[in-house]
Amino acid sequence: MADKKRSTPKLDELEKGPWPSFVKEMKQAAEKSATAADALGILERSYNDKIGHWKHGGIVGVKGYGGGVIGRYNDIPQDFPDVAEFHTVRVNQPAGWFYTSDALRKLCDIWERHGSGLTNMHGSTGDIVFLGTKTPELEPIFSELTEAGFDLGGSGSDMRTPSCCCGMARCEWACYDTMGLTYDLTMHYQDELHRPAFPYKFKIKAAGCPNDCVASVARADLSIIGTWRDNIQMNKDAVAACATGGKVDIGKDVVAKCPSKCMDWDGKNLSIDNGNCVRCMHCINVMPKALAPGKDRGATILVGSKAPIIEGALLSAVMVPFLKLEAPYSDLKELIGAMWELWGEHGKNRERIGEFIQRVGLGNFLEQIGLEPVPEMVTQPRTNPYIFYDVKK
Amino acid sequence: MNDINEQQVAEAMYAMVKEYHGKKNLKAMDLTKAMIEKFGEACTKDLCKAAIRQLMDSERCTYSYVGGSYIVLPPEKK
Amino acid sequence: MATETVKRKTDIGPPHYEKFLPPIIKKNYGKWKHHEIVKPGVLMHVAESGDKLFSVRAATPRLASTKTLRLFADLADKFSGGHLRYTSRNNVEFLVTDEKQIEPLIARLKTEGYPVGGTGPSITNIVHTQGWVHCHSAASDASGVVKSVMDELFPHFEKMDLPAKLRIAFACCLNMCGAVHCSDISILGLHRRPPKVNHAALPKMCEIPTTVASCPTGAIRPKTVDGKQTVEIIEEQCMYCANCFTVCPAITLADAENDGCSIWVGGKVSNARHEPMFSKLAIPFLPNNPPRWPEVVAAVKNIVEVYAKNARKYERMGEWIERIGWPRFFRLADIPFTKFHIDDFKHAGEYYRRSAHIKHMPEA
Repeated sequence: MADKKRSTPKLDELEKGPWPSFVKEMKQAAEKSATAADALGILERSYNDKIGHWKHGGIVGVKGYGGGVIGRYNDIPQDFPDVAEFHTVRVNQPAGWFYTSDALRKLCDIWERHGSGLTNMHGSTGDIVFLGTKTPELEPIFSELTEAGFDLGGSGSDMRTPSCCCGMARCEWACYDTMGLTYDLTMHYQDELHRPAFPYKFKIKAAGCPNDCVASVARADLSIIGTWRDNIQMNKDAVAACATGGKVDIGKDVVAKCPSKCMDWDGKNLSIDNGNCVRCMHCINVMPKALAPGKDRGATILVGSKAPIIEGALLSAVMVPFLKLEAPYSDLKELIGAMWELWGEHGKNRERIGEFIQRVGLGNFLEQIGLEPVPEMVTQPRTNPYIFYDVKK
Repeated sequence: MNDINEQQVAEAMYAMVKEYHGKKNLKAMDLTKAMIEKFGEACTKDLCKAAIRQLMDSERCTYSYVGGSYIVLPPEKK
Repeated sequence: MATETVKRKTDIGPPHYEKFLPPIIKKNYGKWKHHEIVKPGVLMHVAESGDKLFSVRAATPRLASTKTLRLFADLADKFSGGHLRYTSRNNVEFLVTDEKQIEPLIARLKTEGYPVGGTGPSITNIVHTQGWVHCHSAASDASGVVKSVMDELFPHFEKMDLPAKLRIAFACCLNMCGAVHCSDISILGLHRRPPKVNHAALPKMCEIPTTVASCPTGAIRPKTVDGKQTVEIIEEQCMYCANCFTVCPAITLADAENDGCSIWVGGKVSNARHEPMFSKLAIPFLPNNPPRWPEVVAAVKNIVEVYAKNARKYERMGEWIERIGWPRFFRLADIPFTKFHIDDFKHAGEYYRRSAHIKHMPEA
C-alpha cells in the first residue's frame, strides 16, 4: 500500500514541534491502511481548500441498533475512493477509562482488521472512537467487539454513553461511587442507549465532587455532582503543619478566597461556619491533607446543560439539592424515568430537556414529575409579577 | 378491554411507516402515540417499544438519522 | 447476508470496570486519604492503608493510531503492571506502584514523543472536536489548530507556572461538541455567510416543513423553483448556526474565505470559589490559515501571557477578569471591543450595564 502515499507538504509542517503530532499518528496508520492513507490525503486537500470534504451520514448502523455508528461519506470520492465511506464507530468505554494492556491490544486487533487504525481516546461524550470504516465491516466489528466484551455507545436521539470521573478508584474526594453508578445506569438503560426513542440526545455525567472533573454541569443533560451535608472534616495537626510549611498562606490563599466568607483564621485556629459553606472545594483543594469533605455524602442532581444549538447554551440547573446515592439507585432512576416520560411525550424534535424545561417552565415541569419546589432550585424568586395562577384549582 | 399483542402493533406500525414513506419521517414517539390512539389504553408504551424492536430485529424497518433519529423502511436492496 | 454461526450478542454493555483496575485500586477503592502533585505530571495518591499510587500523566494527540495504543500497552506492561487509564482531557495516565519506575517511564515517554505534565496550575491537553478530519459541518480544522497552539504554549504544560489551571477547548462549529462554552479559553470555528441551497437536490433529500422549522430566526421559507418545492433563505436574518444544514444536507455553509475561528474567555465548570460560568467573546473572528493558524496561535498566546502576568494565585481566567472588569481586560490584552461583542440574540439586554459602577481609567 506504499503507492497510496501522497505528498502532504502542509500536514508535514505539523509533524514538527514538541506537542504530540496527529499527523505522525495518521502516517503510522497509513503505513498499514489504505483508508488511513486516503484520510491523510483528503485532509491535506482540506488544508489547501480551507473547507471540509465530509458529508452527512444517513442510514448506517448495525442490525437492531439506532445508535453507535456515525455514517460519513466524502464529496470527492473519485479522488479519495478509500474514504468514500469513512464511518465512525462509538464503543462504550469502561467506566473511569481504566484499561489493561491486554484490553487495549484486543481493541487494536479488532480495529486493525476492520478499519483505518485511527482512534480517539476518547470522544467528547466519553466513548472509545474508531475513526473510519466501511459499511460491510460494521457487523463483523460489532460481533468481534461483543465477543471481546465490548458494546457500542450512543448516537442520535438516544441516551448517550454515560461517563464519569475515576471517583473512589483513586480520589479521596469522591462523595459517591461514580464508576459504580455509571456502570449501573449504563446497564439499566441499554435499550435507551441503543434504540433512539427520545426527542433528542440525553447525556449523563457523574462527577464525584464539586470540582466536576468531567464537566458534567456544562456537558450533560443529567449532571450528578457529589457533595456532602455535614461539616468539612478537619485534621487540626495537618492545618498547623500547613501553616508552618511555607507553601500555603491560610489567611490569603484559603480564607480570603472562600466564596461564602464562612472561614476564619486567627493564626492558630481555623474555624468554619459550615452552615454558610457552599461546598465549593477550594479550601479542600488547597489543603488536601488538612481538610476533607464531610461524612454524610451524596450528590446534587442538576438537569439540562447543553451546547448552543439551538436556543443557546445552558448550564444544568438544580433538580434535587441532595440525594443519597447507593445501589440500586432507585430514587435516581425514578427521577430519570419521570423526566423521560414527560419530555419523551411532549418534547419537540431536537429539543433537549434543558430547553424543554425553559419552554414549559421549571415550576410546571416539577409539578408534572412530582417534585416539590424548593428555594435551592433558584438563585432568587421571580421579580416578574405576571404569574400564571392555576384558575382551575 | 380488548387484547392486543405485539404482532398486531408491529404490523400497524409497519403499515404506518410504509404509508408515510417519502412524505414524512416518523420518530419512535410518533408511532407510539399513533398506536395508543388507534388501540387505546391496552396499547402500552412498553408494548410499542417491543413492537419497534421486533421491526428492527427482523430488518423490516431501520433507523435513520437526519438531525434526529427516525424509523424508516430499509434502503432498497440491490 | 452471511448466515450467523454464533448467536448474535446485543445489549451487553461495556466491560465491568473492575476487570481493568490494578490490585492497589481494588484494595483501596473508596479508602484514599489524600494526594499531592509530586512534580509536574506525577500525582501521588495515598490510601488509608498507607499504600501509594503514582499516576504519570502524558499528553496524547486525541487522534491516535493503534500503533500508539500498542506502545502505551507495552509501556504499561513494562512500568505499571499492565495498568493505565485515560483522563477526560485525552491524557494517558500510567498507574505506577513502584516508585523507581517513575523516572525511567517519564524518560521513555519523552523519547517516544508523549511528554509528561498537565497537572496543577498548568495548561493541560486541549479537548477538541474532529474538524476537517471527520466532521461534515466543520468551519475549521481542530487537530491542526490544537497542535499549533500547544506547540507554542508547551512550556506551560511541562511547568506549573500559572496562577491557576488554564483549560483550553476547541470546537470546529457552533454545535460545540467539546465543552468549549465553559473553558478559560475557547477557540470556536464559525461560519460567516448564509448557507447556499441546492435546489436540485433539496426536494429529494429534505422535508420542507422540518427544514423551515429548524431555523431559530425564521429565516427559511418554502419556495417553488422550476416547479419543485424547495426553500429560500432570507439572508439578512441568518446567524449561521447551521441547524438547517443538520436537518437538511442540501443546504451547505462551508466557505473557504469566510470561515474561521473566534476566541472566547473566562469560562469554568468547577465549583471551586466562583460558580461555573460560560466563556465570553474576546475576538469575533480570525482567519483559517493552515497549516499553523498563526493568527489564532498569537491571539491565544497573548491572552495567556496577559493573564499569567496579572492574575492572582488561584484566580482562574474568568475570576481574574471579573475582578479587574472587562474594560481593563480588553485594554490589557489590546483587543478591540466591537459591536459584535454585544449580544443581540436570546440574551440581549441581560448584559447591558445598568448602573454607574464603572472603573474609569485615566486617558491612555
